[in-house]
Amino acid sequence: MDVSIVVPLYNEEESVGALYEEVRAAAEALGRSWELLLVDDGSTDATVDRLREISRRDSRVRVVRFRRNYGQTAALQAGFDHAQGAVVITLDGDLQNDPNDFGLLLATLEEGYDVVSGWRRDRKDKLVSRRLPSLAANWLIGRLTGVDIHDNGCTLKAYRADVIKRARLYAEMHRFLMPMMSLSGSRWKEVPVNHRARRFGRSKYGISRIWKVFLDLLTIKMLLGFTTRPAKWFALLSVPFLAGMLLAFAASVYIDLSLPPGHKYPLVFPSITLLCAFAFAHLVIVGLFSELVVRTGDFRPADTALSLSQPKGVSA
Amino acid sequence: MRSPRPWGDPEVSVVVPVVERHGDLEQLYREFAAEFERLGRVAEFIFVVDDQLRDVVPALQAIQERSGREVSIVLLGGPFGESAALTTGFAKARGERIVTLASYFQVEPAGLGPALQALDDGADLVVGRRHPRIDAAFNRLQSRLFNGIVQHLTRTDFHDVSCGFRAMKRRVARELNVYGGLHRFIPLLALQRGFVVREIAVPQRREDCPTRYYGTPTYLGRLLDILNIFFLTKFTRTPLRFFGLLGAGLFALGFVIDLIAVLEKLFLATGISDRAVLLLGVLLMVLGVQTLSLGLIGEIIIFTHARNVRDYKVAEVIKRGGPSALDDTGTRQAS
Repeated sequence: MDVSIVVPLYNEEESVGALYEEVRAAAEALGRSWELLLVDDGSTDATVDRLREISRRDSRVRVVRFRRNYGQTAALQAGFDHAQGAVVITLDGDLQNDPNDFGLLLATLEEGYDVVSGWRRDRKDKLVSRRLPSLAANWLIGRLTGVDIHDNGCTLKAYRADVIKRARLYAEMHRFLMPMMSLSGSRWKEVPVNHRARRFGRSKYGISRIWKVFLDLLTIKMLLGFTTRPAKWFALLSVPFLAGMLLAFAASVYIDLSLPPGHKYPLVFPSITLLCAFAFAHLVIVGLFSELVVRTGDFRPADTALSLSQPKGVSA
Repeated sequence: MRSPRPWGDPEVSVVVPVVERHGDLEQLYREFAAEFERLGRVAEFIFVVDDQLRDVVPALQAIQERSGREVSIVLLGGPFGESAALTTGFAKARGERIVTLASYFQVEPAGLGPALQALDDGADLVVGRRHPRIDAAFNRLQSRLFNGIVQHLTRTDFHDVSCGFRAMKRRVARELNVYGGLHRFIPLLALQRGFVVREIAVPQRREDCPTRYYGTPTYLGRLLDILNIFFLTKFTRTPLRFFGLLGAGLFALGFVIDLIAVLEKLFLATGISDRAVLLLGVLLMVLGVQTLSLGLIGEIIIFTHARNVRDYKVAEVIKRGGPSALDDTGTRQAS
């Protein structure tokens, strides 16, 4: 099998028919063996019935139905788990991605990348509610993680199967798929793809609570920093507190010496000293503890090593 | 040493954890067995006795001797509590349906029929709701408070989530992983795993009515249980969202307190050094940093143990031809 196409679906009863037809036409034009994996993420409308009909007509189609709604990350993960192709292509179920971009993604992947991400350069979404927040988020993700891509939110991506099957996906990490993949040392590239306005249904994503994204970003920032030496990362985090402690300590000593005898001793700087000392000590200890956690875990940098030969099953 | 089984394998396994207070087990057994008889369902009874309550074993053995039906007694090796008792009972159960009962009369046996019917109609787990309630106002207040908090925190609407009367399909029981105080939240855990859960009203028994006062440790324990289930249902994969928000909140609070103190010192000439509020702010900030860093450790734990983590449960894989696919619980599904 050359190509597995994975589509997460949640309440897309109106678009699945057209989606299947478009994907089939585009996939057949590739001239390779392919399969289509439709992951139903606990839809409550007639999506599953539509999917049953499609799978009855075409043996290249497999449907993975979830027990309930688990979110897009889980749906993508299920697609990767069930995929049999050497390359996995993912796209949105709402027809906003154009299956005719498959060829471009594949060609780019074969230039020697592990993952090729679509970039919706001309987005057909509302400016204020969708495009501006996305612009800000992508800028922030690029600055913090060093994975500087324009469009983290685009589902249209192509992966080498052996790379993506090894990636660690959980919670809502699909928003940070590229930074997460760069954690396992992937070579990535971004290519502009077509974007179409939504034809059916409503968008399932709005500006969700922003603190979630911030905390997830902090997580990724930390994960990027810790992979080899977590204690070092925490030690770095504790440096400002160490500096604050020394400064405040110096200030308290100075004040203590310059005060006339019998004067009441002010507590401001000593308490700042204590605050910083506690935080500093705590972070160092937590850092040591994190070494223990990482050592007993299953993340081994050796697992991320790739041999630089041609991807299996993909013709040069 | 198994007794002969004149009825073949039971359809329903009744698991009764005997761990804390218990009522007249003989009468409990008699009435529920009679109800099974009336419904025409073959049932086995499994009494799982906590080590602390080994005194009830002779009474149970008497039931075992007198009854024609299958009654098994399992004695736990230590004071392991209700969750462990349930898990042990589930492992011994042979029926396709499993019913759990409190070890005293909580509800009328008449609830059995509707509960088993709901399972036949497609529910995976049915939990009883004692309704209408006829017990003391204080009991109802406690129960409403407990369930209200749980409903609010988990965004579900079970009225009597910890009711001991439940009916479930065997695969649910096999998949649940209850320990500690989690047996109180079995419907929530099943829901989280994507099972269909229903609540049915069951008449309450007089024996369940006396006012119950608990000690402070019990209430604190319940509160901890609630916090635990809140964390488990929401943040097991994203610990930083919980600890991070909590830590940032504590830090911000401490920061604001000290900021106000400093501003007052600068502009109102209020002395700052002799005020306890300064130390309070410092303490809160330290606590905030600690909480946040624990969240980070949590994230590291998830990431470094994520290789085999799968957040989803597949109901079925549909494809043309080919063998029908197995779902996660090994139940054969139509293709």
